Amino acid sequence: MYTEKGLLDKLKSFATFSFIPLFAFVTVLLIPFLVGFLLTFTDWNGIAAISSLDYNWVGLKNYSVAFADKDFWTALLLTFKYVILVVVFTNIIAFAIALLVTSKLSGRNFFRSIFFVPNLIGGVVLGFIWVFIFSRFVEYIGDITNLAAFQHSWLVDPDKAFIALVIVSVWQLSGYMMLIYIAGLVGIPNDIIEASSIDGASPWQRLRHIVMPLMIPAFTISLFLTLRNSFMAFDVNLALTGGGPFRSTELVTLHIYNEAFRFQNYGDGQAKAVILFVIVATIAIIQVLATNRLERT
Amino acid sequence: MKKLVVGFLFLLLALTVIGCSGGTADTTPAPAVSDTASPAATTQETTAAQSGEKVQVTILGTLKPEIAAQVEAAIATYNAAQDKYEVVSIPLDTNPVEKMTTLYASGNAPTIMGMGQEFAQFQQNLLDLTDAEFSKHALPGTQDPVTVNGRVYGMPLTVEAFGLLYNKSVLDAAVGGGFDPNSMQTRSDLQALMDQINALDGKTALHLSPMDWSLGAHVTNLLFAPQSAERDERLQFMEDLKAGNVALMDNEVFTGWADTFDLLKEYNVNAASPLSADYDQGALALGSGEVGLWFMGNWAFPQLSEIGPDTEFGILPYPIGDDPTTYGNTQISIGVPFYMVIDASQSTPEEQQGAIDFLNWLVTDATGQDYYINQFKFIPVFDTFTTRPTDSMSQQILNYLENGRSLEWMNSLYPPDGWPTMGVSMQKYLTNTIDRAGLAEEFTDYWQGVDK
Repeated sequence: MYTEKGLLDKLKSFATFSFIPLFAFVTVLLIPFLVGFLLTFTDWNGIAAISSLDYNWVGLKNYSVAFADKDFWTALLLTFKYVILVVVFTNIIAFAIALLVTSKLSGRNFFRSIFFVPNLIGGVVLGFIWVFIFSRFVEYIGDITNLAAFQHSWLVDPDKAFIALVIVSVWQLSGYMMLIYIAGLVGIPNDIIEASSIDGASPWQRLRHIVMPLMIPAFTISLFLTLRNSFMAFDVNLALTGGGPFRSTELVTLHIYNEAFRFQNYGDGQAKAVILFVIVATIAIIQVLATNRLERT
Repeated sequence: MKKLVVGFLFLLLALTVIGCSGGTADTTPAPAVSDTASPAATTQETTAAQSGEKVQVTILGTLKPEIAAQVEAAIATYNAAQDKYEVVSIPLDTNPVEKMTTLYASGNAPTIMGMGQEFAQFQQNLLDLTDAEFSKHALPGTQDPVTVNGRVYGMPLTVEAFGLLYNKSVLDAAVGGGFDPNSMQTRSDLQALMDQINALDGKTALHLSPMDWSLGAHVTNLLFAPQSAERDERLQFMEDLKAGNVALMDNEVFTGWADTFDLLKEYNVNAASPLSADYDQGALALGSGEVGLWFMGNWAFPQLSEIGPDTEFGILPYPIGDDPTTYGNTQISIGVPFYMVIDASQSTPEEQQGAIDFLNWLVTDATGQDYYINQFKFIPVFDTFTTRPTDSMSQQILNYLENGRSLEWMNSLYPPDGWPTMGVSMQKYLTNTIDRAGLAEEFTDYWQGVDK
């Protein structure tokens, strides 16, 4: 046990353990966040040195522009659609795979690593690989089968490009969520499972009334992670569709990036980023509170 | 304990803020290369340079992505030819404006950059090049867009032209004998030609590239530039559009321009799925003679001549009507694609000197000129050049230029979001997602929203 006497001692032991992480947190997270927030009230052009103060304070103008921008709300709506689809499908698939690879399947360790691999490849690389599949390979399939859906690249049709985006994201995220579900499944005490079979519970009843309630913490984590990841999805979007065709698959993060860096409206883009932060933070807090309540009951 | 954490956090915050502002206050001149080099590192760099080590001069990208290999070779030759500077290319994998903005924001601005319409925004960070050797030899008029208060801030790289590139072998076969580019005067001529190509076995008339920069900047230029032969009137048209005083659907040039685009849509080899094509497919299709025409610019020439080394390539105007005398029907768009500029705010004087030296070498040294003309296939805009371009397309463009048959690159006057936004509208029109009235409406909406 540590026994710190004076303030200096306390400070010393505190600094010993947390100076580096705290320093990192402050410099790479807190300060950029605060500076970025302040910049939303200026007309900074993205080029001038921030300390030069070579820009004007414009009050809430950037926010009013952001709120009035139709494209921003379209992108936000599309993101909600994307998040719902990705969260639902990722968790269903990940849970199903987790059940599968924890059953008495031969070669289950092999399958575990196979399903996890997509998560180890960066989003940009994944995007480029899938561009090839959705454009060239799909057309090749179309040539052979003559199916209408495969005649042309999926990435040039707004609806199909969106589906492609969801498929790749689900495929990438499922492996990681599977790991969390496996940990949850393995953590369920065997005696409860045995007791339920002695009581004559069917596999479905066991899953529904024993396994799933005991897995609530795993669901909390997975839901939170998939929510956060899909709201913040950027690299797959950039590399796979680039927002195209004609900005129809532009998720909100890519929209913000384009606004700030491509169209040079730095203030508007940053204001939109702050709006997105508020929305995501609210949703994440609601979600964690809700599942926490489930955990307690 | 909690109080302690909070207090500590604030202390840290205060410290870093002081540290940051202290660091950025004296960023002129800050190092351009290293990641987070402090002023101390800069001095080290300079002293190292004085003691015989080469000064590293960074250049963003490779002048043009199409000639990356040739430019890398030229840089290597330059680096070997002298022992003061080492030019290093920073990979450019995205929109240059995006890249420059992020590099500037992170304090890592490259020393040499190429800039187009974003010049005005960056101008205060750029080096005055009025007294550089290359500035004295640039052809008259080519420096106008980068001249501010009588001082020159950029070096024109070359002139380029865009229009309908053609493969002469295919057109010769289509018209049955030597194809004469001057026979193309109107839209009907173009349509007749495309019919003739389609009649050939296994040939298609045209490849239309769907990239937003091609549609949004180059195709749309043919809507703005032919509005009037008088520059003031053309500029006035743009201003009127911003003010909302133009009914595009009643505009004669718009109608003619859109009619021709409809024609291109119809004869496009990818008509069934117009957005599937990419740039390389276009180069391959025209270079190999699969198609006869491709809407692109002469920057594609190095690739075309690689694919079809024995084929002759040329360029045709994009007609906007059926009267040969209409301004725009027999002219092609020629302009300076971008200007080489040197950063003054984040690079050391040695680096700036090296940058000037490299650019001088490129346009005044015999070896540099050889690369410029024969490897990059550039059309020279400096009076230091004694050799003329040898390939047919560059000569043709020079002829257009000398005969005054050129259209202004109005697209260099678009705001930064101009071509991406109009490019999106053009893609929608290309895929029939919107009709002509919709296109006119999206253009009008965009221009009215531009900050005046």
